[in-house]
Amino acid sequence: MIRFEKVTKTYPGQGHNALDQVSVDVEKGEFVFLVGSSGSGKSTFLRLVLREYRATSGRVYVAGKEINRLASWKVPRLRRQIGTVFQDFRLLPNKTVSENVAFALQVIGRSRSEISTLVPETLELVGLEGKGDRMPDELSGGEQQRVAIARAFVNRPMILIADEPTGNLDPTTSVGIMKLLDRINRTGTTVLMATHDAGIVDQMRKRVIELDDGRVVRDQAQGIYGFQH
Amino acid sequence: MQLRYVFSELGQGLRRNLSMHLAVILTLFVSLTLVGLGVLLNTQADRAAQQWGSELQITAFLCKARDDNPACTSEVTDAQKERIAKVVEENPEVADYRFETKEEAFAKIKELLGADKFEGANPAATADDMPESIWITLKDPDQYQGIESAIVGLDGVSTVRDQRQVVGPVLQGLDVMQKGALLIAAFLVLAALLLVANTIRLAAFARRREIGIMRLVGASSLYITLPFLMEALVTAAISVAIAVGALGAFMWFGVHGRLEDLVGFIPWIGLDEFWVAAVVVAILGPVLTLLPTLVLTRKYLKV
Repeated sequence: MIRFEKVTKTYPGQGHNALDQVSVDVEKGEFVFLVGSSGSGKSTFLRLVLREYRATSGRVYVAGKEINRLASWKVPRLRRQIGTVFQDFRLLPNKTVSENVAFALQVIGRSRSEISTLVPETLELVGLEGKGDRMPDELSGGEQQRVAIARAFVNRPMILIADEPTGNLDPTTSVGIMKLLDRINRTGTTVLMATHDAGIVDQMRKRVIELDDGRVVRDQAQGIYGFQH
Repeated sequence: MQLRYVFSELGQGLRRNLSMHLAVILTLFVSLTLVGLGVLLNTQADRAAQQWGSELQITAFLCKARDDNPACTSEVTDAQKERIAKVVEENPEVADYRFETKEEAFAKIKELLGADKFEGANPAATADDMPESIWITLKDPDQYQGIESAIVGLDGVSTVRDQRQVVGPVLQGLDVMQKGALLIAAFLVLAALLLVANTIRLAAFARRREIGIMRLVGASSLYITLPFLMEALVTAAISVAIAVGALGAFMWFGVHGRLEDLVGFIPWIGLDEFWVAAVVVAILGPVLTLLPTLVLTRKYLKV
């Protein structure tokens, strides 16, 4: 589903590599934690998958396509297969919960009837049934993140990317969010999650890829956060 | 494609940046009007020049009995007239010529000034006060010096009048007005472009959240750019409409209402020329807003 072949990324004007000869293979339906300290290259990794940047060298395959060579006008089509969730939720404050989720479908041209079935369905899946008419600022942090997940998942993407999704949440709420991501993973969606949260990684016992200074220093099935190596 | 979002964004965008859009519309309206005026003045100058160029006539007034010119010792004789006609006929620059008699000249002046002044016991002038003249039509309006110098010294010729001295100031005036209009229009177009750029920057900033999400969920670049393009198109359409209205008012009240009466001896532009100017303005307006929008949305939105 996601394959990195000796991928190096250097930002213009910076001497050292943000990613250095990274090779990783993520199968369809896997749940993968991307761990490492700040500046280790986690965000760069995710951005390369989203094709926000191109790799300086090496190859990045997403859903069977080498996306480094993808023409810019085909990038939107790629991104429709990827849902993305962030630490800061990024909801539109002037739209209701339902409108926020529907927005993701509207702007890619889905029909009104599709939207009217998919949005309530997805809100129910993330545990927000009955809250569609609320505004984002009326919700708790955990609920807002659920809205963001609903928006990322409403188009039923093949891949869900989560960049520190529990970074702004307390541990109890984080557990709820992780259960939700796990449920989404069980529907066959590949989940790639960058995190600092050791407790969560240890609890979930999923595959862990650790980055340090742009290099993969660990790739372990059913790993924990603080692996001694 | 679902355009509901595009239209709701359009309305919101226009309201959110109302003062900015008004500034764009006003600047664009004035600059487009000036461009349109430039086009009109250009065709007007062309028409006047064409008329007076193609029909350019040199009039040589011949000596009369009591002539102001001391070279005229007596009224022009038939022998002198024959000689003048021969010189004119042999000149390669001349297309055609005709003589005008004293009586014809007297009839013309009576018509221009009113017949009552020339009747009764003490008339302002009689036919004998009028000079005979020869009206020469040239082949090439620019080749007039040869014939002028050839006849000016002939016996029996009093003065030579070049019609272009009459039309010249009018043509020069039109030329200055046209250049002035286009120069001011150029500055205003520049101001309009900068305003459009600023508007887009503000709009892109106001919409940065939506745009970020649209890019993330895979909205096409066209879809993201569309509200900006529509805004540009709406402001352009309003500016064009006002500018065409202003040009129409200029044609109706200015040309038709005043200039045609004031300066009757040149042919004035009409509806056809107005439509040409309107089309130029209608094309230029959208181009001036859409082009910078396309370039700048690419820059600011990185779509």
